[in-house]
Amino acid sequence: MKIQLQVPVGLQIKAFYLFFLIHTVQVGSGIMGVSTHVYSQAKQDAWISIIVAGIWMSISVFCMSRILQQYESADLPGIQVDIFGRIIGKFLGTVAALYFFGFMITLLLNYIEVVQVFLFPTIPTWLVCFFLLSLVVYAVLGGIRVIVGVSFLFFVGTVWLLAVLYKPITLMEWNHFLPIMGTSYTDIIKGAYKSTYSLIGFEALLFVYPYVQNKQKAHLAAQQAVWGTTILTLAVVVITIGYFSGPQLERLIWPTLSMFKIIQFSFAERFDIIAVGLWMMVILPNMVTAMWLCTHTFKRIYGLRQKQVLYMLAALLFLGTILFQDRLQINYFTDMVATLGFYIAFVYPLVLLPIVLLKNYIRRKRGTSQ
Amino acid sequence: MRRSVQKKKKASDTFPCTIEELKKQLSSMLQDSPDLNFSTYTLGQKRIIVFYFTYQINKEQLHRSILDTLLASQDKTWDAKMIQNEVPLASSTLHDTLISVAKELIQGGVGIYVEEDEQPLTYYIPEQARRAVSRAENESLVLGPQIAFTESMVTNLNIIRWRLDTPELKTEKLIIGKEIPTEIRIVYLKNISNDDLVNTVRQRLEDLDVNDVMDSNVVAQLIEDRSTSIFPQLLTTELPDRFCNSIINGKVGIMVDKSPTVLITPATLFSFLESTEDIYFRWNIGTFLRIMRLVAMFLSILLTPAYVAALSFHVEVIPSSLLVSLGQSRANVPFPPVFEALLLELLIELLREAGARLPTKVGQTMGIVGGIVLGQAAVKAGFTSNILIIVVALSALASFTAPSYMMGGAIRVIRFPMIILSGLWGLLGIFLGLSFLIIHLLKVSSLGTPYLSPLYPFHFADLDNSIVRLPWSRSNRRPTVNETKKPVKFSQKEAKKKRDIDE
Repeated sequence: MKIQLQVPVGLQIKAFYLFFLIHTVQVGSGIMGVSTHVYSQAKQDAWISIIVAGIWMSISVFCMSRILQQYESADLPGIQVDIFGRIIGKFLGTVAALYFFGFMITLLLNYIEVVQVFLFPTIPTWLVCFFLLSLVVYAVLGGIRVIVGVSFLFFVGTVWLLAVLYKPITLMEWNHFLPIMGTSYTDIIKGAYKSTYSLIGFEALLFVYPYVQNKQKAHLAAQQAVWGTTILTLAVVVITIGYFSGPQLERLIWPTLSMFKIIQFSFAERFDIIAVGLWMMVILPNMVTAMWLCTHTFKRIYGLRQKQVLYMLAALLFLGTILFQDRLQINYFTDMVATLGFYIAFVYPLVLLPIVLLKNYIRRKRGTSQ
Repeated sequence: MRRSVQKKKKASDTFPCTIEELKKQLSSMLQDSPDLNFSTYTLGQKRIIVFYFTYQINKEQLHRSILDTLLASQDKTWDAKMIQNEVPLASSTLHDTLISVAKELIQGGVGIYVEEDEQPLTYYIPEQARRAVSRAENESLVLGPQIAFTESMVTNLNIIRWRLDTPELKTEKLIIGKEIPTEIRIVYLKNISNDDLVNTVRQRLEDLDVNDVMDSNVVAQLIEDRSTSIFPQLLTTELPDRFCNSIINGKVGIMVDKSPTVLITPATLFSFLESTEDIYFRWNIGTFLRIMRLVAMFLSILLTPAYVAALSFHVEVIPSSLLVSLGQSRANVPFPPVFEALLLELLIELLREAGARLPTKVGQTMGIVGGIVLGQAAVKAGFTSNILIIVVALSALASFTAPSYMMGGAIRVIRFPMIILSGLWGLLGIFLGLSFLIIHLLKVSSLGTPYLSPLYPFHFADLDNSIVRLPWSRSNRRPTVNETKKPVKFSQKEAKKKRDIDE
């Protein structure tokens, strides 16, 4: 396995699109219920937790780009092989790929459940799963160019949902935020930890970096993306806390979607129904990118044909998704993936950076002494 | 194929021969055509035969230039070289084989053979049936030139040269088709168009291995990137001004003989939604029209499915005030909404198809009878609801706003699977279909150029002249997707120079 990944010019993407790629892979399933999770720990100071998580995320992205800058055009699987050797490196790469696989299962499960609650209570899980997976496979077959296009266009096509939130904003109760800093620091940190499921995904930077054309701008684009996500999440958390009362918020599973219920137009009552349908377009870039990352990582590590891996994984995803039956199982599995994602996205880069720097330092020293 | 090769070999040692031999062989080669005319003259000591297809040549030129010269002096002894010298026509060819003579005759040549001479001689004086240049029928415009292309390549080239009178205009000639060869021209401006693009077009055309091409639309389907797609990937037009405008902006045109439409490549989704009229209008009106067409396309695809989805599954989405009138109008309808919608959409499609097939005069009556009488009757009979008639008529109208008939057709066909999807799974089905469409459009390309450009890959400057239109003083760039040699039309500085009051 080569450590550096040389990408032909035709397949390279501009750093400008990295913003959309990272941002859309982050925003999706998590943001539907982020407020409840964070509120359960940090109460009215949940918004501080989000800012803390945002800063942490920013530091992590900084570490990632420093790691990547040590190499010319390498991705995480390549770097791991370089640092830890063939066997451990490949093992760690496989863990990352499996993590993306699990991430996709949680995305599917959570969205399907939303569909079953809001739109069609009786629609079978396998059917929605089949719809989403066929779209994902169709998109991933188009390669990185189509995937970036999906994240860009679907972002543009759904970002207007934010504007619709003007109505809940006018109904916000600002007393809900008082007293500020009423919760302990540990609870705020715990709240920040709870928010990570809605923020993970930016580790995609470690995998798509070789595909970026103007690499000197990649770091900036990634920072913009994570801060964009932070601000979006912050807005959602602030609005939900202001809009719902505390006990109400704790009982809701998807406060973000529930908020859409208040929105009315002269041509559409119950905007939440439309929003849930449209949410498919929010979830898809997530899944498409995760699927690409997963299949690409398998290809990188084991030299398999990406198409075959894609079909196989789609079949496994389909089977994996229909195995889950109830909310508790889904919650348990989501928590598991969130924990793994937390370690991969928020902790691992901070650990990896010193190791990479040390190894490079030793290498350079040897090089000069010889 | 083999037979013609044998004939060729035999024919090559035909000459010199007697006139009777030539007559016999030529007749059998041209399937004993009754229209093949032979006239023999004895001039000096030699017999000369003049032969041609009566309807393929210009009789006046034959008489005035060829026969008058030949028959002017009865006692000269002619040979091929001498005829070439004396006859006042430029397009003479000497032939070694009879088959090449026959080919020339078919295309409108006059053959002359002096008995026992080495080579027969032909003059190319064709007369083709062609209609006069007329007004554009299919892409009608209110403003701007009304002239349209015709089936004759010569006429079309004439129009193009007239509009683009610059020496940089290059019209490359290619012959396509093994059995029935057809002339194809690649038209572009040498100093503007991207060479890679021209090479791609030429390569695609040269690689074609077909027996014959019927029309430019067939050529378009033969050379496009993704033949499984429903979307047209090359722009066809019958308007010279549209064609020339594209060429000036660095696109490459393909003209096909015998076809009244020409092709423009590369085409993007948005180029199918723009009309030259947007350019003739003032920029703000042009922008409005373009955005309106874009909205119309979305409406056309989404409106009927939305009706079906809302009525079948998501009744709670419909506002209560509207629900009352909807309920009243649907009270008599025995069918589920999806069936009702499909029925009415089919009716509209049938009307359109019948209107297109019928002669113009009957067609208009058809539209009125079908639209008004049938629509009224369907509602009275309780087949459909009033509101659905409005919805379906609106989406049908919206689909007709696409300036390209091809694109309009694609949009109309897409509606049917969308309606079925919405009838099966409501909003979920609609968004499934929509997502699929967007992913599909991302995959389509037109000779290597992304189909959704300038939306993806995003080029801010290219939004001008694709989705909006800027005032002329600001619209100083050629589209970057075309990767032209001269990306800037004129300096922005000069155009933007501001004057003070009363200067």
